[in-house]
Amino acid sequence: MPTVSMPKPDMPSGALVLLILRVLRSGPLHGYAIAQRIHSLSSDALRVEEGSLYPALQKILLKGWVTAAWGTSESNRKVRFYRITKDGVKQLEVEASQFDRQTKAIQAILRTA
Amino acid sequence: MRELLRRLHYLLNRRRFDDELREEMAAHRDMAEQGGGVRLGNELRLREASREAWGFMWVDRLGQDVRYALRAMRGSPGFTATAVVVLAIGIGATVAVFSAFNIVALRSLPVRDPQTILRFGRLAPERSASDVPYPAVAFYREHARTLSAVLAQTESSLSLDDAKTSASTFFVTANFFDELGARPSHGQLFRAGDDRAEAAPAVVLGHGFWINHFGSDPSVVGKPIRLNGKSATVVGIVAREFPGLAGDTPDVWALLPHHGYFVHGSQVLTDFSGVAMWGRLSPGATPESAEAELATLTGELRRQYPKDIWENERLTSHPGGRAEMTGVTEVFTLVGILVLLILAVACGNLGSLLLARGASRQREMALRSAIGAGPGRLIRQLFTESLVLALAGCVGGLALGSLALKGMLVWTDAPAWFDSTPDWRVAAFTVAVGMLSALLFGLTPAVQIARQKNLKQTTTVGRTILIGVQVASSCVLLIVAGLLVRTANVAASSDPGFEYERVVVVDPSLAEHGYDPARARPYIQDLRARIRNLAGVEEVSVTSTPPLSGLKVMAPLQRDGRAFMVYIHQVDPQYLSTMKIPLVRGQNLSERDERSVVVSESLARRQWPGSDPMGQLFKIGDDTLTVVGVAASARSLSPGDPDTVELYRLAREGDLPGLALVARTAGPPERLVTAIAAAANSVEPAFKPRIGLLKDRFAQNLRDIRSGALAASALGIVALAVACLGVVGLVAYSVAQRTKEIGIRLALGAERRHILTSLSRQFRWIILGGLACGVLGAAGLAQLLRRELYGLSTIDPIAYVGAIAVFLIAVGLAAMWPARRALRVDPLVALKND
Repeated sequence: MPTVSMPKPDMPSGALVLLILRVLRSGPLHGYAIAQRIHSLSSDALRVEEGSLYPALQKILLKGWVTAAWGTSESNRKVRFYRITKDGVKQLEVEASQFDRQTKAIQAILRTA
Repeated sequence: MRELLRRLHYLLNRRRFDDELREEMAAHRDMAEQGGGVRLGNELRLREASREAWGFMWVDRLGQDVRYALRAMRGSPGFTATAVVVLAIGIGATVAVFSAFNIVALRSLPVRDPQTILRFGRLAPERSASDVPYPAVAFYREHARTLSAVLAQTESSLSLDDAKTSASTFFVTANFFDELGARPSHGQLFRAGDDRAEAAPAVVLGHGFWINHFGSDPSVVGKPIRLNGKSATVVGIVAREFPGLAGDTPDVWALLPHHGYFVHGSQVLTDFSGVAMWGRLSPGATPESAEAELATLTGELRRQYPKDIWENERLTSHPGGRAEMTGVTEVFTLVGILVLLILAVACGNLGSLLLARGASRQREMALRSAIGAGPGRLIRQLFTESLVLALAGCVGGLALGSLALKGMLVWTDAPAWFDSTPDWRVAAFTVAVGMLSALLFGLTPAVQIARQKNLKQTTTVGRTILIGVQVASSCVLLIVAGLLVRTANVAASSDPGFEYERVVVVDPSLAEHGYDPARARPYIQDLRARIRNLAGVEEVSVTSTPPLSGLKVMAPLQRDGRAFMVYIHQVDPQYLSTMKIPLVRGQNLSERDERSVVVSESLARRQWPGSDPMGQLFKIGDDTLTVVGVAASARSLSPGDPDTVELYRLAREGDLPGLALVARTAGPPERLVTAIAAAANSVEPAFKPRIGLLKDRFAQNLRDIRSGALAASALGIVALAVACLGVVGLVAYSVAQRTKEIGIRLALGAERRHILTSLSRQFRWIILGGLACGVLGAAGLAQLLRRELYGLSTIDPIAYVGAIAVFLIAVGLAAMWPARRALRVDPLVALKND
């Protein structure tokens, strides 16, 4: 039976949501730009595939953390710009501090154990 | 909450959002390509993954499956039609029975606010009664605050002016119609205040009686009619759909205070014999608060009537806004089982149809799984197809069931308020049965087909089981039908143990006319002597319980820890010879000895097995009686029940007002009816006894049995037809599968009958196994019927063999049709095929 190849997410989806919200805080971006920004901000370490980016975007749209509006890109293409909402900012703060605590805890274990 | 709204918004506009998503992702890809990325992954699949976030994929999938199922159904109209019809029959039968049960047992009566109506009965530690004395009813009506209205009713049978017609009459309180929201179809109904005893006697006609007896003539309103020889004015005709409260409607409605006017000597208003009592709860009152208040009132009443109100008496209540019918549960248990068997046959049939279809869809399934559908997805799709079929079956079943019920109501002459229109309960039941049958017939084939493993073998196993279920279920139905048909024959041809052809029953209902024992004795003696002296009368006697009258006096007995009821006949010494019940041993009753008793052979066997019943002592209530004789068994009160036992004792002083006379005539009894009526008139002209022929009651009884046998036979035939359809399908399928093999065998010189033998060998065990299960099931079910079988054994060989023969012949003929194709197989064609 042939299998359909599925792009595997490069990172946990919770972290992806956090990163999307973070890059959107400095201003609205379209989907490809979000991926690019994450890629470059992580010094090319993190790669976001469309297979995980768009499901994550749909999810946070439904949550009401971002809104989307059609606009024109730098290259003059019709694209959808995502803008973070007040709820999104709040969520970002909550998740960022949580993530911070978690990574610190994990690092502490990694260092001492 | 807002998230849910957004989700719904996505669901409703999902086509637009999907387009947007596609556009957006296309732009992304283009930009990624320009940026040197690689185009990876299936675009559609990626989009689906994003859409998954909206959370309504199942709606899309369901829509796909339903659309696909509809297309598949359209693609094979023959299969679809068969499946829907078979399913509609199975569901329709259960729906019809459930609707009937709904009407008589679940639904409230169509009267105003049925929920707040309570029916009251009397209860004391030692005794209980369903009726409440009228003086007490009046007292409660006066004082109870928790009841906003008190209704009462008592029933009498009055003779109409021509004296040949008797009119069942309900005497009710004047508020009865108003309180229940009844409407007249013509004229008017009783109103509060009409029930002053001095008011002119008025009656309201029942709708059916008005149609049958007065030919729907509206001008009867305002005219006088004569009931029991007393004149009364017809003030109106009650609407057809008014149900009353007793589950039955009378020919005539009259006012309770006029009972004494129509019924000579009646004391129902002043004595403590009792009437049916209902109350309407005041706003805010509960049944408990009403019972509590009435208990206090009963205490006060007892101080006024210490003799008539029992010690520690109180009133108990139960919901009064429902039809109260006796024996409903028993009847519906039995009928319910029978129609569930039909449903089982239908489901079995559909299951095998689906399996056969599954075999022909093997390629489709293989293709679908090759392009990525997992087994779960395939099962879901196949099951959706079953659900769509079930839904179509529900619609058909609901229509068929309502139609069948309507037919049944007309055929059984059911009360007019029986409304066969389905309500939400029937609709819910239909859907539930539909879903259940989808599970029964759809899930197994779906799993088997989707698994794809060794389809041929599992299919055969599945089909075997499904056919076995059909055989067994229809076999049970046929045997039950056979038993009932046999019962009808037995009841018609066998000797019931007593004379019925030439017996006239004369029932003066003296108690109803206010006779006490002292007045009843001379009346009975006089009437008896006069009838005895009529030419053509051979013998006359009295009894408290005339045969087949529905009147029963029973007492509980115990033997070896098992309780049973004995029917008590309070008679005179001539009763046994009048009814031609032979005295087998010992002596007859004697007027001189009130303590003697004659027992039936059945009672003697039950109570003193293996020992001599003569001289045994027998306790009934407070009396100790001595057995002086044994009479042949005669089930004159409950002819269908082989377990009945009876005893005969002398009617005592207190029994006199309740006695009826039975007269055996030399010739046809019809000729004496007029003479007996004249004799009764000369004894007491004030009222007329009811005079009936025992053979009429006997014939009515037989008609009832035949109706039952007919109904069961109809169910059996439906089941048989569906099962035959299943067998045709099975044989055809098997012939088609074995065409090649048959061709080879024919080419090698096999005779055609050998081919048939080999084909039939394949099915022999299924049929035999199904039959065996069916016989066992029927024997179990027949236990429920025992009391209606007129002593026929529950494993009556004729009924069983007959039913099985009918089944085998029908199935054999059905199987022959597709099997003939096997015989016509042309070896050359068969081998060239493939």
